[in-house]
Amino acid sequence: MKNILPILKKELKSYFNSPIAYILVVTFLVFSSIWIFYLQTFFAGNIASLRNFFSVIPIVFIIVMPALTMRSWAEEKKLGTMEVLMTLPFRESSLVIGKFLAALTLLVIMIALTLPLPLLLSRFGDFDWGEIFGQYIGVVLLGAAGISVGLFVSSLVANQISSFLISLFVLLVLTLISQVNLVLAIPPWAAEAVNFVSLGHHFSNFQRGLIDTRDLLYYGIVSALFLYLNTKTLVFRKW
Amino acid sequence: MIEVSNLGKRYGSLEAVRGVNFSINPGEVVGLLGPNGAGKTTIMKILTCYMFPSFGTATINDLDIFDKPLEIKRLVGYLPENAPLYTDLNVMEYLSFMAESRSLKGKQKNERIEWAIEECGLKAVVYRSIDTISKGFRQRTGLAQAILHDPEILIFDEPTTGLDPNQIIEIRELIKRLGREKTVILSTHILQEVEATCGRVLILNEGKIVAKGTPEEINREMKGEVLLEVLLKGAGKPGGLKGVPGVRELLQSSSPGKDLHKLQVALLPDSGAEEAVFDWAVDRGYKILAMVPKRLSLEELFIKLTREGGEKL
Repeated sequence: MKNILPILKKELKSYFNSPIAYILVVTFLVFSSIWIFYLQTFFAGNIASLRNFFSVIPIVFIIVMPALTMRSWAEEKKLGTMEVLMTLPFRESSLVIGKFLAALTLLVIMIALTLPLPLLLSRFGDFDWGEIFGQYIGVVLLGAAGISVGLFVSSLVANQISSFLISLFVLLVLTLISQVNLVLAIPPWAAEAVNFVSLGHHFSNFQRGLIDTRDLLYYGIVSALFLYLNTKTLVFRKW
Repeated sequence: MIEVSNLGKRYGSLEAVRGVNFSINPGEVVGLLGPNGAGKTTIMKILTCYMFPSFGTATINDLDIFDKPLEIKRLVGYLPENAPLYTDLNVMEYLSFMAESRSLKGKQKNERIEWAIEECGLKAVVYRSIDTISKGFRQRTGLAQAILHDPEILIFDEPTTGLDPNQIIEIRELIKRLGREKTVILSTHILQEVEATCGRVLILNEGKIVAKGTPEEINREMKGEVLLEVLLKGAGKPGGLKGVPGVRELLQSSSPGKDLHKLQVALLPDSGAEEAVFDWAVDRGYKILAMVPKRLSLEELFIKLTREGGEKL
């Protein structure tokens, strides 16, 4: 664990020394404010709930997560620093977890900056804080799964742009695949299966503030799986 | 103690390293010399556990590269080719990250960083972002990173490329200083670099060791083929040079101007043939305008070594 700290610190410094982190955070905040107040007309709705706000998060994350993770491995390869990093006394898993935690930290900061929203709005209505807690947990888990996918893709490709576009595509499919059930009449077992793999479907409970162990488990497994695959690509690369 | 046995690496169908054997004792400074694509970098990448060999193995202090990569990585300081650095950090942040990665903490960490900055002459750029510093400073930052944790073994891949002559001398001095206590392996394609810094040389070509020995031995090897360039002035085409004692071969002859003759002659080593060539020219009434002994260039040595094949010395 103490091995992860240097990587985590370095990654965070890299994020905040470059404009990407700031642009990403500001864009996210501006967009989510426009979404809830103008597009969802929050005040006209007259309901003290952030469900509409959280409904758009999976879609936004399809773009945010690839942007957050596209540099991680692709940039190391482009700069040649991969050679420095991989000859330092770290296990491959420490490197992967360090990069994952750094991206997750940035995500948490970004999410935390939306907290003034419910805090300020609570003057005008009676919010269910349990619901909001569940929603925030869901957002972090959804983000963690997106980050692992993005990191894995970044470890496979040689430049940021392809990393961004491929992760975008993968997340788009994984998030929206459950929508096929709305347009196609597929057998119930297939519909179940499609729902099971969908990142977006598992968010629907969280969006209503419900914390279901199945959803927790799902996001945990997706994150762990892609982090594991990421570690394996680093090891295979040595051959 | 570094021991490399029958080491090989394939990249697809390309065989970059083909069965290399050598061993390096503690405290030695060894140069890997060879043209681009000879396999120098690949050997270094294997020794630093950046990649596995396709066949064969290597041990460092009896630690196997397959079994104990973490232990080996702790022992080794590595400067990769072109000194890759994180361009979005400043020099201090970078060195600080490297120090922490090497498990240096607190006071010891600060002392080591300060020492490395001093040793590599980085004072002027400590808080400058790496993407704004010159190639020379980048190379030195790379060196500082490699020596930060006081490793037993230093591996430098072309440490002086892209530096100006003054910087090259400084870096060579630094390497020599480090070589007094540490095992150093460096790669280069510049012969003078090896002569200036290394106690022993391995010459590689096409993934094989084609010659090894001390720089003096390699030099002697090269003197097996002394070249002499002679510029003569006089009427008529010069002839009869073949019969001069010590002359092995007339390689080239041309006439750059009226009554001028430019000859390139291969001499036997230590035969005093230079004098004989002088006498020969005087006897025939030629005036010698220039007589330049030429060392075989590295490329020519390579051609010679690879043509003859096999290991020498």
